[in-house]
Amino acid sequence: MNMEKIDLEKGIRLFVLPTDKFKTVTTSFCFHRDLDDDYTYNALIPAVLRRGCEGFTTLKDIQRHLESLYGAQFSVGVQKKGERQILRFSMEVVNDEYVAEQGLLAQSLYFLNRIINRPVLHEGRFIKSYVEQEKENLKNRIRSLINDKIQYSLERCVQEMCRDEKYSRYVFGSEEELDNLDADRLYSVYKDIVRSSPLDIYVVGNVDPEKVKLLLERSLSMERRQIKSIPITPYKKLQIKQKTVTEEIDVNQGKLVIGFRTNINAQDKMYFPLLVYSSILGGGPHSKLFINVREKASLAYYAFARLEKFKGLMFVSAGIDVDKDEQTLDIIMEQLNAMTKGDITQQEYEGAVNSLINSLKGIADQPSHLIDYYLDNSITESNITLEDYIERIENVNIDQIVEVSNNVVMDTVYFLTNKKKG
Amino acid sequence: MKREIVSDLLNEKLIHYKHRYGLNVYILPKKSYQKQFAIYATNYGSNDNEFIVPGEKQPMKVPEGIAHFLEHKLFEKQDGNVFEAFSKLGASPNAFTSFNTTAYHFTSTGNFYECLDILINFVGDPYFTDKTVDKEKGIIAQEIIMYQDNPNWRVYFNLLKGLYHQHPVKNDIAGTVESIQKIDKDTLYRCYETFYHPSNMVLFVTGDIDADRVIKQVDDYFDKKDMSKQGRINRIYPDEPREVADSVVKDKLPVPRPMFLLGFKGEAVQKPSQVILDNLILNDLILDIMIGPSSELYSRLYEEGLIDSSFSAQHIEETDYSHMILGGESPEPKKVVDMVYQEIEKLKNKPWDIEYFMRVKKKKIGEYIRHFNTLESVGVQFVSLVFKDIGLFDYLERLEQINNDQLQTQFNNFFDDYKSSLSLILPG
Repeated sequence: MNMEKIDLEKGIRLFVLPTDKFKTVTTSFCFHRDLDDDYTYNALIPAVLRRGCEGFTTLKDIQRHLESLYGAQFSVGVQKKGERQILRFSMEVVNDEYVAEQGLLAQSLYFLNRIINRPVLHEGRFIKSYVEQEKENLKNRIRSLINDKIQYSLERCVQEMCRDEKYSRYVFGSEEELDNLDADRLYSVYKDIVRSSPLDIYVVGNVDPEKVKLLLERSLSMERRQIKSIPITPYKKLQIKQKTVTEEIDVNQGKLVIGFRTNINAQDKMYFPLLVYSSILGGGPHSKLFINVREKASLAYYAFARLEKFKGLMFVSAGIDVDKDEQTLDIIMEQLNAMTKGDITQQEYEGAVNSLINSLKGIADQPSHLIDYYLDNSITESNITLEDYIERIENVNIDQIVEVSNNVVMDTVYFLTNKKKG
Repeated sequence: MKREIVSDLLNEKLIHYKHRYGLNVYILPKKSYQKQFAIYATNYGSNDNEFIVPGEKQPMKVPEGIAHFLEHKLFEKQDGNVFEAFSKLGASPNAFTSFNTTAYHFTSTGNFYECLDILINFVGDPYFTDKTVDKEKGIIAQEIIMYQDNPNWRVYFNLLKGLYHQHPVKNDIAGTVESIQKIDKDTLYRCYETFYHPSNMVLFVTGDIDADRVIKQVDDYFDKKDMSKQGRINRIYPDEPREVADSVVKDKLPVPRPMFLLGFKGEAVQKPSQVILDNLILNDLILDIMIGPSSELYSRLYEEGLIDSSFSAQHIEETDYSHMILGGESPEPKKVVDMVYQEIEKLKNKPWDIEYFMRVKKKKIGEYIRHFNTLESVGVQFVSLVFKDIGLFDYLERLEQINNDQLQTQFNNFFDDYKSSLSLILPG
């Protein structure tokens, strides 16, 4: 199974993965944007576009159309990958062979093109009520982050840690920006997205790449201009002033998040040892955090470590009693120190490598995961196949893991706790 | 005894084998998949809090949360925990407890048969001591507290408390920090012996797998065991009134804006599998027509800013109870609820559009087919159906046969004299 890469018009790259194992065909249009001052506008635009286009001017028209395509799954979204925002428009349709209808893929491409390039307009601008409603929805979505305390605490740690860096920006934008939204600017940012952002189109399913290319050439109607290049996310920070931030709200469980700088990004050859390092530390039940924080000390239900591979960050997170932050922090730091000293058992090493390989192999069984894998490759300008990726993980040795452990520097300790404390 | 069940619609084949001790084994071969997924489940969940152990006379009442506690403890053995064994083989194991089932599963990408061996062995071999039971209380207490901080979880369990007077579905699956303190190793063993007999369990595996090898493995394992047949487990559920316990349940949490769930209570009576299946399909379709994303009502609510993408609706159908729930975040939940009630009356009194019905049905067909892409999702779906005596392919086959008149009749019956409860979380 291999992804075929085809260059279309200016700055548009088509990636097709033909396979007969899935019952559906998944298509994703991914626009790449710098996480610059337009980030709130970038986040709002897909939400406005999904409200209506020529031929399907209301939400209801769109939904009815999707139903008639055997429950086609249409979604839009924004993702943050390093200091880059990905605007995504996706559609998944059932493979023609399972239903009494032909040409679902063509319909799907035709529909996505309409949504992206033929929005319903009023006097050359987006429909005002659509913008107002989606502005409100996005604002609520930003505020609702607090309803998921694990995500909230991770996001807050990022904000504190990367205060002066673009990476601190929340993927869904800022409330303040939304309050002062300029409708003219919104439309010009939209125009800029379709004209000058690098665009990747991914198609996964039982399809013929040549046919997909033809269908796209026929259905796409974009006026492309000069394509912008997106700067590489800075990921090295050596002068660190460690800080501790405590936030008090009405919670039952405390959330401890520790942010680290690894000074290694996904393009670095040391990235593979870093992956194994992070998995040994907190990548599942085989990990030091699971065994020592949860199983031995009985302090937490969850304790994990997670990497941000474009910005070179690592976060450790645990949900604990509000008065156990110091004890937990000590145990966590002991684990990191142990790794610096090379105190890694064969069992931990194998557990980490095996678990990484297991999830990498699993990517091939899920269309959305495949698309995400190749999207990451597109960002790092890499052509590495899943097989090679797995081989690189297998070749990591303990010395390399100890070497990367010296690169990992603590930056910010964030603790979400109860007001009653202290 | 081995048989094959084929679905032409899905182009899939399911192999069923029943071991003489009563264990049902199902294999869904999926060629060209890298992953293998196995799920081993017992027909035992948080609802089974009172029962008569086969062979005994007196009913036994156990602390809330014990099924979930048992799930946690099965992973621990005398020589360490089971995670290590899986981890050596590169597989990731996990488990979940629901109201009606406890399931243990793993995903592997190689070493499948060795992993399957570990799965069958660890679920079949409990090891509880006072010390390990005590240690788990701290971990589970953190799990319970974590959910208490989750407003989506709170609004849901508050609703169940509003809908039900007696039925154990109103209790948290993990129990409470207090109730789990009463759990000890003897009670755990008693529950284990009652509910983990192979005749109360099912094994489902999928991936690029050799069915005969799986069957042989199961035979080899159980043939070594000397087991007796188990009699019927008598599960005791209290009588549940038709009325709801509370028509409104309010709670205050630090949420940015109100959250709500509106629930409609079905009758709490035992139903045969055919009725359960029809209810599952028909009520799913009803929700789509009434308040799905393509409905008139949804558009109105969305455009007036009363709901957003946090809104969802679903129908729960179990053998002995059922409810329909809908909700999300809203600036004015009461307004949404009033509009839902009005829509119900409107739908009762007019003939339903056949084209709309056909479209929604098409959508459901597509969704069911799509869901066969993902091994884990098929496995979990399978388990949720099998203990209701519904086959994996039955849903789609039955769905094809449903017509608009049946749907409207179902709607009129369900909403004839409905009992509803509203759960509200207010900022504060």
